[in-house]
Order: sequence, then C-alpha cells, then structure tokens
Amino acid sequence: MEASVLRAKNLTKRYRQGETWIEALKGFTYDFPPGVTAVVGPSGSGKTTLLNLLAGFDTPSEGEVHLAGHPLHALGEDERAGVRLAHAGFVFQSWNLLPTLTALENVAFPLLLKGVPRRERTERAQALLAEVGLERRAGHFPNQLSGGEQQRVAIARALALDPLVLFADEPTGNLDSAAGSRVLELLVRQAQGERRVVLVTHEPEIAARAHRILKIRDGRLVEVREQRPA
Amino acid sequence: METFLLVARNLKARPVRSLLTLLGIVVATASMVLFLSFGEGLRKALSAEMTKFGPQIRVVAEGTGTFGVPNPELGPEVLKTLEAQADELGIARLFPAAVMMKGSGFDPATTFLFYGLPEGITPKDLAPAAKVVAGRLDPHPDGAVVGKQKAEQSRLTLGKTLRLSRKIALPIVGIVDAGSGFANSFIFVPMEVVQRALNTTNYSVVLIYVKEGYAADEVAEKIEALIPGVDAQSTTEAVKYAERAIRIGDVIRFGISLIALVVGGLLVANTVMMSVYERIREFGVMRAIGARRGFIFRLVLLEALLLALSGGALGVAAGIAGSQVVNVYTTHAVGLALSAVTPRLVLFSLLVAVSLGLVAGVIPARVASRISVIEALGRI
Repeated sequence: MEASVLRAKNLTKRYRQGETWIEALKGFTYDFPPGVTAVVGPSGSGKTTLLNLLAGFDTPSEGEVHLAGHPLHALGEDERAGVRLAHAGFVFQSWNLLPTLTALENVAFPLLLKGVPRRERTERAQALLAEVGLERRAGHFPNQLSGGEQQRVAIARALALDPLVLFADEPTGNLDSAAGSRVLELLVRQAQGERRVVLVTHEPEIAARAHRILKIRDGRLVEVREQRPA
Repeated sequence: METFLLVARNLKARPVRSLLTLLGIVVATASMVLFLSFGEGLRKALSAEMTKFGPQIRVVAEGTGTFGVPNPELGPEVLKTLEAQADELGIARLFPAAVMMKGSGFDPATTFLFYGLPEGITPKDLAPAAKVVAGRLDPHPDGAVVGKQKAEQSRLTLGKTLRLSRKIALPIVGIVDAGSGFANSFIFVPMEVVQRALNTTNYSVVLIYVKEGYAADEVAEKIEALIPGVDAQSTTEAVKYAERAIRIGDVIRFGISLIALVVGGLLVANTVMMSVYERIREFGVMRAIGARRGFIFRLVLLEALLLALSGGALGVAAGIAGSQVVNVYTTHAVGLALSAVTPRLVLFSLLVAVSLGLVAGVIPARVASRISVIEALGRI
C-alpha cells in the first residue's frame, strides 16, 4: 500500500485553561486523499487546532500525525520545521508576507531556506509570480500591494518548493469578494496530482469548491462528505 | 548574503532607532579609543624621548619623582664624591645642573623651566640632536637659550628679556631645537644664575654618561649605595616606571570607557530586543514556512553584530579623529603627541565592539529563535 501523504490517527489536543483542561480536539482520525479538503465548523470547534497539529505547529496530547511519511507527533520543533519546508506550503488569513522583502524575495524565501542557488531561486520565484499573475509586481514590497495581491504572493510562496500539502487557513477571510474568488480559484487549481489542499473555512460557498468537506463540531469529526466541486 | 540583506533591510526599516543605537556605539567606541590612545601615545612619546636624551642617569635628592622637577638639594659634596669615584663607578662624564620652575606649572604657556647648565656645557650635552634655530647654542656667560617649543608657546624671540627673579634678568641669545619634547620646553641658562636666583650653592641634578660596557642600572645602584640620600635614576628604570604607570592608567581608562561600552551594549540589546518583539509574527511566519531555530538565531545575532561592528568601525574612525585633535593640542602645549591610535588599539576596539554585539545579541536571538509558531501567529 502506498504511504499516506497526510494522515491523522486518534488526534487529541488538550489545553489547560486555569484549573481546568479543555479538550480542543478529540480522537480525530482521517487519511487525506488528493484534492481539496475543506475543514468546516463553527468558531471554536477545533478547526484551527486541527490545522496546527496537521502542520506540525503544535504537538498532539495523544495520537499521531504523519506528513509525507514523517511522524510529526514524534519529532522535535526543528525536525518538524524541516518536514514543513520540504513538504508543506501555507497560506494564512492575514497573508503574513515578510515586510522587508519584495514580492519576488518573499516567494524565493522558502528556496533560500532550502539552500537553492540564487539564480535558480530567482527564476523559480519569477515563474511562480507569473503563475499567480503578478510578474509585474515582483519588485514591490508587501505594503505596496493590495490585499488580494499579497495573498496571491503568499500562494506563490507556498508553492515555491512544490509541496505535497498546501494548508490554507481562511485564505479569503480578509479579502473582498472579487479578490477572494480569484485567490480561491488559484488555490483550488493547485490540487493537482498527489497534492492535497487542506482548506480551513467557515464559509459554505468556499467549502463548496472542495472535493470533500470534513465537519468538525466540539472538537470531533462529525461528518465526511464527498462532493463535486462547484 | 541574503541573510545579510534581510538584516540590513530590517535595520533600514527602522532608521531613526538604528541610527540612534549606532550613535551610541560610535560614542562608546570612540571614547574607548580616545581614552586608550593616551596610553599608546605616552608609550611612543616616552620611548622616543628616551632615545633623544643624552645622559643615561640623573642623580637627584631622594624623594624626587621619576619625572619630577628636582629641587636644589644636592650639596657640592655629592658632585665631589661622584667625580672622585667616577672611574670606579663606570662614569664617563658627568655635570651638574640647577633647575628652577617659575609659573603655575599647570599652563604650559605661563610655566618657565630654567635649566641652569655649568660653564662649558650646552644644550647639546643634554640632547645630542640639539640644533640652533636662531642665535647661539651656548647660554654662557649671561644669556638664555630657549627651547623651540617654549619659544613658540610663549612667543619668545631673540633679544627679549627673561626675568628669573626681581634682580636677575637675562636676554634671549638663542633658540634651540633640542629634538625632544621635554628639552624643547626648557630655557637653558648659566647654572650660576639659577643658583643665585635660588640663593643656593646646591645643585638640583647631576647628569651622568655611563662608560661603554657598563649597565646604567648597575651604575645607578652603585651610586645609591655610595651616597646616602640620593636617587640615581637611569633612563631604563624610568621607562619601566613609566610603563607601569601607563599600564595602571590603561586599566583605569579602560574601566571608565567600559561604562560607555556597557551603555552602548545595553542600547544594542534594547534595540534588537524591541525589534524582536515587534517582529514576533514575522519570525512565526518564518518558522511556519520551515526556518529552523538556528536560522532565526543567526538572523537576530547578525543584526546586533552588524550594529556593533559598523558602530565600532565608525567609533574607531571618530576616535582617530579625536586623537589627532588631542595631538594638535598636546604638541602645541608640551611638544609631544600624547595620543596614538596604534593597529593593536584599533584591533582591540573592534574586538570589543564585536564582543559587545555578541553579548547584546545573544538573549534577543535566543528569545526570537524560541518563539512558538502558534503564539506568534496568534492562532490559539
């Protein structure tokens, strides 16, 4: 059997809040297939906690996460960072571009971390910016770009190392509808081949673009629904 | 290279703060360079002076400081004893001198050091490189020969009259370039005139040339053993004494500049720490993308180092400029360049600046490298 690209088993996360322990995620088990998977649920349901664990930003209280065959739950912070760099890309709600770098340098940043030679980095970053329609904005700093443009740069950066998994947390949350739909279009387009796109959202119309929807409620996976993307 | 660019861009993004911090380090390093340059300058000036001074031993009354102005406390019997034992002691030549200081002693322009030389002795016997600038070299029988430095400082010219006491005045008959800072600030006069002005038959000092093959230190020791109540100071001993004093001075000066350095270090630490707190989200993003702790650590440390090193380099440059200004003054005042920025001082200062950057950067770098991704991105 082929090794899973992204798999969670009995994933549980407890937080201490004062004297009491809160279980933010309870026994989440799922093997993410290729395509776009939308994780939906009301605010505080545990979506973001799930994303933190799947991406290796945090460690589970119990259970396992495997990303590209690496047991994230058993790895140290730096090792998890290494796995993320090699196999995952991230698109955040608030874009989170590095403010002192140009669009091109932001896209090239993961390649710099990976040790890719300068020329190759620049070529790849230019190609990615062209792919998101921003080749003319390469030399601009984030504060010179609109929200939609910044998010497209963030997508290009997430794709820099051709990741197996693309995590997106409310990627259109801070955008107007026109910019949001362009960004969503771009994200959905990335779900090619073996690549998984994990899309955390609370907006049904965004979830409708996914191949499947995982519904989380009170920290539990309550429903998995396959669908034809809208 | 890109890491360096990232650091430089970040410093540039906060120009006022970076500039103020840089200024703090520049001032701290410049003051350290300037403080320590006095020690280096003194060493250089001293060794240069010693080579220009002819006699290898000066005999003075006990209790006179190594570089102090001696009082006329040596009786004629001291000179007689020395002359009688000269051969046995290893003395080639000797002559007495009477010294008198007039003025405050604080302001070189209004302080006059009359160096009374006996008949047959000229400034050349004190400073072999001495050359006449104007007039004549020998103050005898009734003139004053002024050191070049002193002449310039107090605007003394040939023909002017110098008053040693109410009753004694001498015309200036010569200006001499003694080739040495000390001797150039003397006014050479006949010894008998100084003795008359001081109302004594004593001498202030007996200057001795040692025979070839004899060690000045040993001859000085023998003189002290032979004549009680005198100090026989050899030039090598004086150099050693001065070196000890300079070294103590170095430590004190470094101690003082350390205060400025610590303040500079705290400035760097504060700037970098503030920058780290402002960029927590940025570091969180880097960590999320896949940056290892070491990368963030190096990034922040490099920021502190860059600040410290550029501040240090500018500080050294400012220190060199300051040292030159000091030398213009001291050369005019005492004929000696008392401040010197040597290569070892430059290296030491840069090393201190780099160490400062390292120490100041370590804590902020550690804090930045340990930022949790979820806390940084505010995702809990």
